[in-house]
Amino acid sequence: MNNSLPTKHYDTRSIKEQAAKYFVTLGGVSVIAAILLIFFYLLQVVIPMFSASHIKELTSYHSPVVDNAELSSSSAQKKIIPLRDKTLVIGLEEQGMIGARVTASGKVIFFNTTTGQVTSTQSLDIESAITSYSSHLDLVVLGLANGHARVLKIIYEVSYQNNVRTLTPKLKFPLGEESIELDPSGQALTQVVLQLNDDSAGLAAVTNDQRLVVSHYIREESFIDESFTTELESRSEKTIKSEVVKLALAPALDHLYVATQGDILYDYSLNDEGFVNVPAKYTFKHPITSIKLLLGGNSLLVGLHNGEVQQWMQVRTKNGSFLTFIRNFQENNQAVSVIATEHGRKGFAVSDNHGHLTLFYSTSQRTVASIEKLDSAITHMAWSSRAQHLLVVDDQQIMHLYHVDNEYPEVSWDVLFGKIWYEGYDEPDYIWQSSASTNDFEPKFSLVPLTFGTIKAAFYAMLFAIPIALLGAMFTAQFMAPRMRQTVKPTIEIMEALPTVILGFLAGLWLAPYVETHLAGVFTLFIILPFGFILSAFVWEKLPNKAIFEGWEAAILIPVILLMVWLSMTLSSPLENLLFNGSLRDYMSQQWGWGYDQRNSLVVGLIMGFAVIPTIFSIAEDALFSVPQHLIRGSLALGASRWQTMMYVVLPAASPAIFSAVMMGFGRAVGETMIVLMATGNTPLMDMSIFQGMRTLAANIAVEVPEAEVASTHYRILFLAAFILFSFTFIFNTIAELIRHRLRQRYSEL
Amino acid sequence: MKQTQTVKTIDPSLFKSSNNNQPNESIMDVNHLNLYYGDAQALKDVSFSVKKNQVTAFIGPSGCGKSTLLRCFNRMNDLIESVKIEGEIVLDKKNIFDNEIDVTSLRRRIGMVFQKPNPFPMSIFENVAYGLRLQGINKRRVLEEKIEWALKGAGLWKEVKDRLDGSALGLSGGQQQRLVIARAIAIEPEILLLDEPASALDPISTLKVEELIYELKSRYTILIVTHNMQQAARVSDETAFMYMGELIEFGRTDLIFTNPEKKQTEDYITGRYG
Repeated sequence: MNNSLPTKHYDTRSIKEQAAKYFVTLGGVSVIAAILLIFFYLLQVVIPMFSASHIKELTSYHSPVVDNAELSSSSAQKKIIPLRDKTLVIGLEEQGMIGARVTASGKVIFFNTTTGQVTSTQSLDIESAITSYSSHLDLVVLGLANGHARVLKIIYEVSYQNNVRTLTPKLKFPLGEESIELDPSGQALTQVVLQLNDDSAGLAAVTNDQRLVVSHYIREESFIDESFTTELESRSEKTIKSEVVKLALAPALDHLYVATQGDILYDYSLNDEGFVNVPAKYTFKHPITSIKLLLGGNSLLVGLHNGEVQQWMQVRTKNGSFLTFIRNFQENNQAVSVIATEHGRKGFAVSDNHGHLTLFYSTSQRTVASIEKLDSAITHMAWSSRAQHLLVVDDQQIMHLYHVDNEYPEVSWDVLFGKIWYEGYDEPDYIWQSSASTNDFEPKFSLVPLTFGTIKAAFYAMLFAIPIALLGAMFTAQFMAPRMRQTVKPTIEIMEALPTVILGFLAGLWLAPYVETHLAGVFTLFIILPFGFILSAFVWEKLPNKAIFEGWEAAILIPVILLMVWLSMTLSSPLENLLFNGSLRDYMSQQWGWGYDQRNSLVVGLIMGFAVIPTIFSIAEDALFSVPQHLIRGSLALGASRWQTMMYVVLPAASPAIFSAVMMGFGRAVGETMIVLMATGNTPLMDMSIFQGMRTLAANIAVEVPEAEVASTHYRILFLAAFILFSFTFIFNTIAELIRHRLRQRYSEL
Repeated sequence: MKQTQTVKTIDPSLFKSSNNNQPNESIMDVNHLNLYYGDAQALKDVSFSVKKNQVTAFIGPSGCGKSTLLRCFNRMNDLIESVKIEGEIVLDKKNIFDNEIDVTSLRRRIGMVFQKPNPFPMSIFENVAYGLRLQGINKRRVLEEKIEWALKGAGLWKEVKDRLDGSALGLSGGQQQRLVIARAIAIEPEILLLDEPASALDPISTLKVEELIYELKSRYTILIVTHNMQQAARVSDETAFMYMGELIEFGRTDLIFTNPEKKQTEDYITGRYG
């Protein structure tokens, strides 16, 4: 009997205890699980970006030919050896389903890429022998023996016959169905190159008698049927001594690059009339075997005999713009035979005379994938426009179709965190610019400016928030009258609940323009406010009977602060007129070269500081207030003043929590989105100036995620940014917590 | 040369001889002291004088105002809101409640040790150095000498001399209390206020503190609040018995304990209340 009662009692209590234990454990574990879930989700989106690319041969077959026997059914019984017409140009449809082959006899043969079966053939009816050719994307230009050139464009029309997607290859002639006369003297064209734009076109060729011919055309679109009319604008020529290996014509028709036999590259400047000045000359260490313009035409790829591909760009200097070496790519030392550029990105495939095939990506300077299977030299390569298929012809006339799995070639450590020399820039730099209006734009994915912006925004916010929050907490906790503290503390804590979108709104739409027009006033405020405080403290000391106001000094300062603010804002305009010729903003940029952005770090610092103050204040005040009274009394009894007690006893004892308060504030400033989104101008600059804006990781994600194509490189890089932000906060908080823990151990037995 | 001289003058053992210098000279006079917490009166017309180099004990039941009275001497009551004080405590012919009195220098002259040991969360060395540093003494050698002297004075030197840089929080309660006393005497106050200094300690520590009080008497004027009548009888020269905010009886300890004048005193001493 004696034992049964306590046992029963113990049972219900232990059940409750167990339940509470499991409930608390469950809670803790689910928090950790949630964090891990976020962590791994971000990681799972980011990781594919760093996975290796693959190139895989799908099939290979003899170059498809037009079976003469089939064409002439009369000779059905006669076995005629198919005419292996030499391949000039090959092309590939967007999804790699249909291939095209332009032959030396002027036929265009379309074939199924998986089987190699010919699907249709078109004859070009060329009046003369084809002596040269080149292709760019789906454009083909053929140089003829009579000094003419024929331009054709291969298109694939999509139709839905019986709900089945059907592709019909067609030929178009953007410069007219007739051949264009390029050399009136009728010399054969040994090299020819074309550049076709919306309103202009350029053709460049080398003739048999060593002349360089350039002609310029103006294209006008007809309003009625969208057809183009082409008109010759100018034609000019120059003699060239050495034998030309390859030509490349810039899209703006302002440069013609000529690679010659003597390992020399000439850069001819062009205008509407033709050649300008003498060409710039660049000598290479090895013979040039091929040149090709990268997508967009800003970069020239130069393939060399030693297997190296160099990327050159026009770079502006004080003395004009020059071709400048940017970076090189090399996988082996076999002479480069063909360079094929991707249609939509800055990637390219390089082949050599021994059948090696390598995929490179220019911006990230990466060797994306390579294959070393073929033994014979590769003579032609063509990308499908989605860059998933690569069609290759070797010198045995064997065609190989490759599938390329290469979705994220743009990403490398250097691209994300290093300086990259982007097209159109004068020097390597950290740049974030994920999109632009043109398709041939080079995406710039440096996370450095964003990280910098994040830290900059947090820095200025903390610069403003830490002194105010900590000094405020010190005063409130130890000096303020309890009755005043009862109102002040909750008020500031409620400030923390203020939606940051409202703060951002105020910052962007009210404070930013206000600060811009009252810039002198803002700086005056920083100067006269301390003076105002000291002056009022001086007056205060002289007042009799001030003891009744003890602890209410802060309240008395409110009118002083308001007066100072009013004074500085009123003085702002006269000051600017008097000292800065009417506008401090203009004066700064003219006299000192300080640019001023309306949405700048000053505004962000003020408003985000305002948002962070309650966090820091609240934690720090709690800690300072809860320092045991017996310590404070002990210090005071030794003849310490209240300020000395604060500095030597209260602050050290509260230091772990103050440290943690500052860390929490910093964490909040780093992760803050709405304020920086609305008040920073979102300019991804690397400039510590307080008058310039910035773009933070968080704001960048908010701005760009809606427009990023799902699973694209851009999308995944935004997730990487989120991952960095997450890790940053996580690591920061962990370190802060560890330090806090150690400090707390030191002050634990109070 | 100067340094060694300082050491000699502050060696506690040398001060026993100065014991008999004017033993009955009064150092502080309490005149008609009234103290109110808001509307409640905690001290009612208290008057007496404290004699130099004597131990004055305040006894009385809980809530009789003895701790409040003790806190008046170094104006620790200033920290409590809504305290109103009437009357005066005269030190050096000045009322210490005057507005022109600098509280911090007053507290330097009148040290205090609290009921609960309150070492700062610092090293033992820094605890004792705290008051000295406040006075601007920062030279390591001067600090070391004074700290050794103070710790010796508080009878703690032997126990802590090897771990001066260790945390003061690692000491036992009795050691902490003696450390706090060392901290108080390091700045060489004239008067030492002890607010139930041994109430939180075990008997052995209590004994040590009492011995310490007895030794310190030679150099300081000591005011001690205690619950423990035996302690008052053991350590004090004069005793004040307080009841309900009033000073009932004040006189030589041997007289109070053997032959009290008032019945209330006798009742308390014999244990009838309190």
